[in-house]
Amino acid sequence: MANITKKVSWSSRTDESGAAGEGTPLLNGSEQPRLSRQDSLRGRPKEIPHNEKLLSLKYESLDYDNIENQLFLEEERRMSHMGFRCLEISRWVVCGLIGFLTGLIACFIDIVVEQLAGIKYQVVKENIERFTEFGGLSISLILWAVLNSTFVMVGAIIVAFFEPIAAGSGIPQIKCYLNGVKIPRVVRLKTLVVKVCGVICSVVGGLAVGKEGPMIHSGAVVAAGVSQGRSTSLKRDFKIFEYFRRDTEKRDFVSAGAAAGVSAAFGAPVGGVLFSLEEGASFWNQMLTWRIFFASMISTFTLNFFLSIYHKNPGDLSNPGLINFGRFESESMAYNLYEIPLFIAMGALGGLLGALFNFLNYWLTIFRIRYIHRPCLQVMEAMLVAAVTATVSFTMIYFSNDCQPLGPEHTEEYPLQLFCADGEYNSMATAFFNTPERSVRSLFHNPAGTYNPLTLGLFTLTYFFLACWTYGLAVSAGVFIPSLLIGAAWGRLCGILLASITANGSIWADPGKYALIGAGAQLGGIVRMTLSLTVILVEATGNVTYGLPIMLVLMTAKIVGDYFEEGLYDIHIKLQSVPFLHWEAPATSHWLTAREVMSSPVTCLNRIEKVGTIVDILSNTSTNHNGFPVVVQITGSDEPAKLCGLILRSQLIVLLKHKVFVELARSRLTQRKLQLKDFRDAYPRFPPIQSIHVSQDERECMMDLTEFMNATPYTVPQDTSLPRVFKLFRALGLRHLVVVDDENRVIGLVTRKDLARYHLGKHGLEELQLAQT
Amino acid sequence: MFLHQNVAFFALLFMSAYIFVSGDVVNLTASDLIDKSGLVRTSSSAAAAVVNSPVLKPAPDLLFSLNLLSNFPEDLEISEYCNELLHIFGQRYVTYVNCLVPAARPVKVCQNCFSSFESLNDTYENISSNDVGPGNVSCRDSLLRSDRLMLVFLLFNNLKDIWTKSNCDSCIIKVPHFNLTSDTLYFLATLNRTLSCFEKYQQGNRTELCTNCKTAYKGLNDLYSGMEKNQTLCIDIEDAMNMTRRLWSKNFNCSSPREETVAVIAVSSFMLFLPIIFYLSSFLHSEQKKRKLIHPKRAKSYTSLMNIQDKMS
Repeated sequence: MANITKKVSWSSRTDESGAAGEGTPLLNGSEQPRLSRQDSLRGRPKEIPHNEKLLSLKYESLDYDNIENQLFLEEERRMSHMGFRCLEISRWVVCGLIGFLTGLIACFIDIVVEQLAGIKYQVVKENIERFTEFGGLSISLILWAVLNSTFVMVGAIIVAFFEPIAAGSGIPQIKCYLNGVKIPRVVRLKTLVVKVCGVICSVVGGLAVGKEGPMIHSGAVVAAGVSQGRSTSLKRDFKIFEYFRRDTEKRDFVSAGAAAGVSAAFGAPVGGVLFSLEEGASFWNQMLTWRIFFASMISTFTLNFFLSIYHKNPGDLSNPGLINFGRFESESMAYNLYEIPLFIAMGALGGLLGALFNFLNYWLTIFRIRYIHRPCLQVMEAMLVAAVTATVSFTMIYFSNDCQPLGPEHTEEYPLQLFCADGEYNSMATAFFNTPERSVRSLFHNPAGTYNPLTLGLFTLTYFFLACWTYGLAVSAGVFIPSLLIGAAWGRLCGILLASITANGSIWADPGKYALIGAGAQLGGIVRMTLSLTVILVEATGNVTYGLPIMLVLMTAKIVGDYFEEGLYDIHIKLQSVPFLHWEAPATSHWLTAREVMSSPVTCLNRIEKVGTIVDILSNTSTNHNGFPVVVQITGSDEPAKLCGLILRSQLIVLLKHKVFVELARSRLTQRKLQLKDFRDAYPRFPPIQSIHVSQDERECMMDLTEFMNATPYTVPQDTSLPRVFKLFRALGLRHLVVVDDENRVIGLVTRKDLARYHLGKHGLEELQLAQT
Repeated sequence: MFLHQNVAFFALLFMSAYIFVSGDVVNLTASDLIDKSGLVRTSSSAAAAVVNSPVLKPAPDLLFSLNLLSNFPEDLEISEYCNELLHIFGQRYVTYVNCLVPAARPVKVCQNCFSSFESLNDTYENISSNDVGPGNVSCRDSLLRSDRLMLVFLLFNNLKDIWTKSNCDSCIIKVPHFNLTSDTLYFLATLNRTLSCFEKYQQGNRTELCTNCKTAYKGLNDLYSGMEKNQTLCIDIEDAMNMTRRLWSKNFNCSSPREETVAVIAVSSFMLFLPIIFYLSSFLHSEQKKRKLIHPKRAKSYTSLMNIQDKMS
C-alpha cells in the first residue's frame, strides 16, 4: 500500500502502450475484467453519432464554493464593518439596475417588433388586397414568403455565424447555468446583442415563436454583466462592484436576472421569482429571494413606465408585460364545480399533446445535430421554415370559407377580406395573419362565434407541427407563445363543442375561458413547469379566480406528460450533453461508492512545486483538469504524500502570470504581494496557459502554493455512497470533491461529470459516456 | 354598470341634500295650504300624453281623483314656469320618439331626426340649466332631482344614449344651423347613384350589373373607407354601406371569385417541396457528426453498463 499512486499511474501507462499487465492487484478487484473491457472498447469505434447519452467535455462547473485561502481571510480581516454594509447595499443597487435594464430591453424588443411587424403586415395586406381583385395572389404568397425568409435569414445568420449559443429560447442554458454548469459564452454581451436582434428578426419573420424565453436569457446576461461592473467585450472597466467578480456572487445575480426577465416578459413579478426558484437557484436564502423579488418588481414597472410613454399616456403603470393576455370580463369568468373534471380532462389532453410535441422535437433535434450542423445549412433551414410557415398560412387563409363580420371596435389589427363579402373578414386570417401574441389574445377574448370549429381545428393542427418544427432552429426564439397559441386554439374548440352538445351550454361554456385552460394545459404539457407557470398565468391574466383550475390543469398535464416523455427543456439539456445535476441522485444507486464514481489517479501538486511541472501539467491537452489537490510530502521520510489543500487551474494561471516564484520573492524583497483583487481582475476569462510565457530559467524555480490553495477542501472517505456525494455536490455547489483514504491520502477526485453520468434509464441505472463535442 | 352605480350614488347624495333643505321649508310654511289642483291636472295630463297608451286609458281618471285628494303646500309644488317646461319637454320627447321608430330600419335616425333631437336637447338644457326663470325659480332641482326615480333625467338619458350610440354627431354640423355635413350629403348622393345603377341592371344579367356598376360601387366603397379613417361615420352611413355591400356581395354575387387556385396550389406545393429536398440532401450528403468518446480514468472497472448490470443481478 506504500505507493498506490505510482502503481495506478503505471497501470494507466500500460493501457496506452497496450501491454498486458502483470496481474498486479489494484485497490480492489483484479486486472482481468479490466483487460477484457479494454478489449471490447477497442473493438468498438471511438466515434459514435451524437445521441442523448453523452456528456460533453466542454462544460465545466462553476466555482460556487468559496475558496477560503489565506488571501481571502486577510481581505476579510481588513474589511471594516462599514465595508460589509456597503456590499449589502451595492447588492440591492445591482438588483435594481438589473431590473431596470431588463425592463428597458423588453421595452425595446416590444416596440421594435410591433413597428416592424406592423410594416410587414401592412405591406402584405395591401398587396393581397390589390391582387384579390385583379388576380395574381400567388405573387402575394411569394412576397410574404420572401419577406419572412429575409427577416429570418438575418436572424439566423447572426445566430449561426456569430453566436450559436444564442439559439433557441435560452431557458435550458440558463437552467444549466443556475444548476452550476459553466456554459461557454452564455452570459456575454455579444450573446445579448445577438439574442435581442435575433428574437426581433424571428418574431417579425412570422415564425411560430415568441419573444418571452429570450427575455429570460437577456435578463440573465444583463445580470451577469451589470454585477461585474465591467465589460470584457467592450474593454471597459468601471472599477465598481469588484467584490462580485466570482462565480458565487455572479450566479446569485443571474438568478435575479432570470426572474427579472420572466417578470418583464409576462408582467409577473411573483412568477419570475418562483421561476428562479423552480428552475434555477439551488442555493436559496431569504435575503436572496427578497432581492430577486425587488429586481422583478423594478423590471415590470420599468417596462410599464416606458410602454406607457410609448402608448402616449405617460405615468400609467398598469399596462403590464410584454405579452398582455388582456383582462377577463367578470361575467365570463365564473366557473362551476362540475367544470373541474372537464378542466382535468383538458389537462390530460394537454399532457398527451405536449408529450407528442416533445417526442417529435426530440427526433428532429437529433437529426439537426447529426446532419445540419454547418452554419450555412442552419441558415437555409431557418429560411425554409419561414417560407413554409408563410405558405401554409397563406394556403389556409386562401381556402378558408370562414367569414365573420367586422366588429364595431375593430379588434382585428390587420383584417384580411380576400374572398369574403365586403364588410367581412377572413377569420382564419386573424389567427395566422398576425403576430402569435395577438392571436393568443384574440383567441382568449373574442366573443363566442368569432371562430368556427373547422377553422380552429385546422389551425391547431398546422400550428402544432409548425411550432414543433420551428423550435430548435438556429434562431433565437421562445416556445411559450406558440404553446399557448396551440392550447388556446384547441381549448377554444373544446369550449365551442361543449356549448354545442349541451342544450343550454352557452351559459357556462364560454370559449375564452376554455381557451385559457387549454393554453395552460398545452404549455404545461410541453415545458412541465408547475408552480411558476401557474403563478405566471394567473398574473398575466390578472385573475386569481382561475388559480385553482390552472393549477389542476398544470398538475394533470405534468403527470400525464411525464409518463411518456420528459419536458422540452430537459430534452434539450440532455441533447446538448450537459452534465446537469438533478434534485436527487438516481434511485437505486446506493450501492455505488465514491471509489467507483471517482476519477483516479489524480494529478496532484506538491505544496512547493517546481514551475516546470506545473506548466507541463497545465499544458497537457489530453487532461484538461481544473482542480489539483495539493499534497505535502515530508521530506526525507518514506511516508506517502498527504492532502493539504486544493488549488484551481485559474489560480495557478494567475500565479504564473504574476510570476510568484519563491526565488524571485527572495531576490526582490519589495515585490508587491499578490492580493485577491488580482484573481478577480482576471475573472472570468482567465488566459489560456499557452499565452503565458515561462522561460527556461523560470521553469527551474519553485512555487509556494500555501497561501493560495484552499486549505480545507471537502473530502469524503472512499466508501461514501453515491447519493451522499450527490447531496454534498448539490447542496454546497461543489466543483471538486477529494476522495481520501483513512490516512488522508488522495485516492481520487469526484467532479460533476462523474456524478452526472449516472441516470435512470429504461433498463435501470445507465451510464453516460464522455465525449468531445 | 359602473356608470349606473355612480348615478345612483349621486342621486342619493342629491336626494339627501334636498330632503334636508326641504325639511326646513316644511317647518317654516307648514300652515300654508293652498289648493293647486289646476296645476296638478296639467301635469298629470302631460304625463298621460307621454304614456300615450290605450291600455292605460282608465288610469288618468283614477289618478286625477287621487290627485285631488293629495296636494302639497305650494312651496313644495313646482312652479308654473317649470311646469311649462316639463310640458314642452314631453311634447318634444314624443316628437322625437315618433320620428325614431319609423327610422329604425333601414337606419335613418340621424338624417331624419336630428332636428327633433336638437329641440328636445334645447328643452332639456333649459330644464337643467342653472339660470333662474321668471319667479326666481330654477327648475333643475325641482324637476330633475327631487326623487329617487328622476324620471325626466332617465328619459332624456335613454334618448341621449341612442344618439351617442348612433354616433350622429359626426354627421351633423351645428353651425351655422343644424344640418347634415357636406360629407354626409355627398355620401348619400353617391349612394343614391349606386343604388339607381343597381336598379337599372337588376333585371338583366348579374355579370352585367357587376361590370357596369363596379365604378359606382368602388367609388362609394372608397368614399366610405376614407370617411372611416376620418372617423366621420354615423349609423346611417354605416348601415347604408352595410346594406349596399350585402347587396353587392351576397345578392348580386359580385365579390372577387377564387380564380387562381391552380397557381396558388402550384406555388405552395413547390414551397412545401423545398424542405423535403433540403432534408433529404442534407441527410445524404452532409457527413454525420460523430462524437469522439473519451475514456475517463477510473480506479476500477465498474464503469461499463454491462458491469453495472452484473453487479445488480
